[in-house]
Amino acid sequence: MNIKALFKSLLLRKFTTGLLILQLAITLGLLVNSSILAFDAKGKISQITGLDNDNILFMSTQPTSGSYRDLDYYRSIVTQDIEKLNQLFGVNSVSITNQLPIATQGMSTNIHDLDNPDQDRTDKYLQNVQYILTQENLADAMGLTLAEGRFLNKADQFDFGSEQKRNIVVTESLKRALYGDESAIGQETNIGFIVGVIKGITLDPTLPSDKQYGVFVNTVMEYIFTGRFYVLNVEPQQMANVRSLVSETILAVQAERDIFRVFTMQEHLHRFYRDDTGLADLFLLLCGLMLFITAISSYAYSQFHISRQQKFIGIRRALGARKKDILFYVLTENWLVYSFGCLLGLVVTIGFNILLSQYISLSKPDIALFLLAIGVIFMSGTVATWFPAVRTSNIPPVIATRTV
Amino acid sequence: MLSYNLKLAMHSFKRAPSLYFLVLLTLSVGVGLLCANLALVSSMAGDPIPEKSGQLFHVSMNTWPNDQPQSEPFHILRYREAMKISESDIPKHSAVFYASGVYARDSESESLKRFDSSVRATTPGFFPLTKAPFAYGNGFAKSSGMEVVIGAALNQKIFAGANSVGKTLELDGELLTITGVLKPWSLRPLFYHATEGRAFNLTDDIYVPLETAIDLGWSIHARTSTTVSYKGVQFTRDRDVFYLQAWVELEDKTKQEAFQNYLDNYSQTLKDAGEHPLDILNELRDVNTWLSELKIVDQKVLAFTLASVLFLCVCVFNASSLLLSRFHSAKFEVGLRRAIGASNKNILIQGFTESVLLGLVAGVVSLLLSWLFLKLSITFLPDLANIAVLDPKLLLLGMLLALVTSVSSALYPLYRANRFTISAELK
Repeated sequence: MNIKALFKSLLLRKFTTGLLILQLAITLGLLVNSSILAFDAKGKISQITGLDNDNILFMSTQPTSGSYRDLDYYRSIVTQDIEKLNQLFGVNSVSITNQLPIATQGMSTNIHDLDNPDQDRTDKYLQNVQYILTQENLADAMGLTLAEGRFLNKADQFDFGSEQKRNIVVTESLKRALYGDESAIGQETNIGFIVGVIKGITLDPTLPSDKQYGVFVNTVMEYIFTGRFYVLNVEPQQMANVRSLVSETILAVQAERDIFRVFTMQEHLHRFYRDDTGLADLFLLLCGLMLFITAISSYAYSQFHISRQQKFIGIRRALGARKKDILFYVLTENWLVYSFGCLLGLVVTIGFNILLSQYISLSKPDIALFLLAIGVIFMSGTVATWFPAVRTSNIPPVIATRTV
Repeated sequence: MLSYNLKLAMHSFKRAPSLYFLVLLTLSVGVGLLCANLALVSSMAGDPIPEKSGQLFHVSMNTWPNDQPQSEPFHILRYREAMKISESDIPKHSAVFYASGVYARDSESESLKRFDSSVRATTPGFFPLTKAPFAYGNGFAKSSGMEVVIGAALNQKIFAGANSVGKTLELDGELLTITGVLKPWSLRPLFYHATEGRAFNLTDDIYVPLETAIDLGWSIHARTSTTVSYKGVQFTRDRDVFYLQAWVELEDKTKQEAFQNYLDNYSQTLKDAGEHPLDILNELRDVNTWLSELKIVDQKVLAFTLASVLFLCVCVFNASSLLLSRFHSAKFEVGLRRAIGASNKNILIQGFTESVLLGLVAGVVSLLLSWLFLKLSITFLPDLANIAVLDPKLLLLGMLLALVTSVSSALYPLYRANRFTISAELK
């Protein structure tokens, strides 16, 4: 194959070739970066949260009736709810809480060791520690594991209105921030005495993994109006069944309630990242469109080529080139264009990645993904050129003699 | 002449329908996608109240009681500062409010069904300040009293859109009388409460006097910061609980300066009393400054808009190379027309007519497609549902874009077609 001749032939069509190369480069840039977004989103969802992902069912609810302003009434209903939910077949444990893990907003507090009041000035994350109001069953319901000490128990729920210092449970990263490697059990903070430490759990995935600060207190019954979520630990094979029964179970206790959603931990994770996956999907859609448009271009490019070069190809055929030589010739010519496109695409990919990272967070392009994208472009391009290439190879040698 | 050119264009379309279809498709997909994104961006970056956005100011103050504030200055205020702002007669109007939520039903209805309603607990100045449009009745005159104003959507749900002024609503067990009903009211962005990711929420369902909501203990459904513990909103009046937002309407520079001084003097009295440990920093920001400071434009949408601009470029390239091949194969025809007397200018005008016609059709198709893409964007990014609106301005922009892209993609092919030598083509 005479590469020089190919170049010459390409130079004859500088404009269209240039356009196609640009187009290929942009397509490649978009393809690689969209895949990065898609992989990033997938990676986030499959991360380890330190929670019993498959077994947890949540129900978010809110009373609609004014009777609930009587907090004792409210508490009695919640107590009955928990009792009834516990009786459902397949339910291991039921608890109630003001906020869920894997969330960015919610109740928060500052925290420091009582002897070390400057701690939350040096670590600003200590000013914004998730404050989880719950009761004693949450560890079982969410499948929390303890690094040391114990979880909250019934006795940690003091008399309502008591000014007594509370017992609290903290997350492992919070314990490290406050006390390093020492034991935290019995230590006194501005919030209360630490009685337990929860092993690695993700509360807010947008924060670094060593800043997952959270405090658990047994006060949800006192401030019952904050108890928006029921947390159920369910046998996996009973999940569908329990899920279909929870709403009617609590509505049978008292009907004047709004049940917003019943969802699993897995769905909760997906919802948290739905913007990321949504964006990745949009980009992938754009990729599909782009590939389609580029395929049209490749097709048009080769088609245009035939119409202009019919005579020359005829001459070649007359001089002894076989059909498959011509086919190969047209394809090689396109492959050469794709190669230029991909080369320029490397620059576009990196440029586009930098540009996008001004707006959103995404990983750097890696070589494997880049090669894969090149593969896709070559494939779709070849498919698009195949038809015109075959047509070209079918040009009879007699064409050469038809025109002067 | 025009009709002749149009005839020729139609003729040309008929000769290569699949090619023109492809050009049409590429251009309209490109324009449609970009247009859909621009619709989202323009809703997000738009001015929600253009007639007086320069006169409405959000108030931020720096009255945190110790030297460890979570941010400086605070966009939320204590009750005492909020009252100080309400008292002032410098602003034409002022509004101090917090967001809450209750369940609502018609107290005379037999059904016990209650509707989840978002609540704005506010001083009466809110209505003139935001130019809330009333369908029936009017706003409440005082910050207290068992009265409410309701939004059109809630009025539709509970009273089927009828004039409900004078009726009584049961809100979390309390009875309040309706004094006014608003017309359908959309503010994009919701400038008066654009913090906490609410910039694209709908306007509220229920507007209630501030003191009434505090007395009834309607909980705060937005950011609260405090250094003390308290058992409910009814106990917040004399405590360091930060939860109220304030807006003032100041008509000119002198009033702005006067009000700034008013706030600074107030802070100084706090400082003199030893209650203001931080430096005095009171900020007034008008609607657009405030919104741009909050960075409410979704970065994801911006990123995607960037990608769709690139995509449109690709589409133009593609259309251009398609048209080039079309003009190339029409060489003979062009040569013939030149030979029998058409000037270069005639050929050029004819080419333009063709691309303008193509652009117009592409414009119409792209508007349909952009509507489709908007629907698609909402399925992928459900948070955008309230702002995915194609307004007339954008429809026009879409048409223009389609025309420009269509003409620009025909530029080079036309230039080439004009350089054909007659003799060579007719050989």
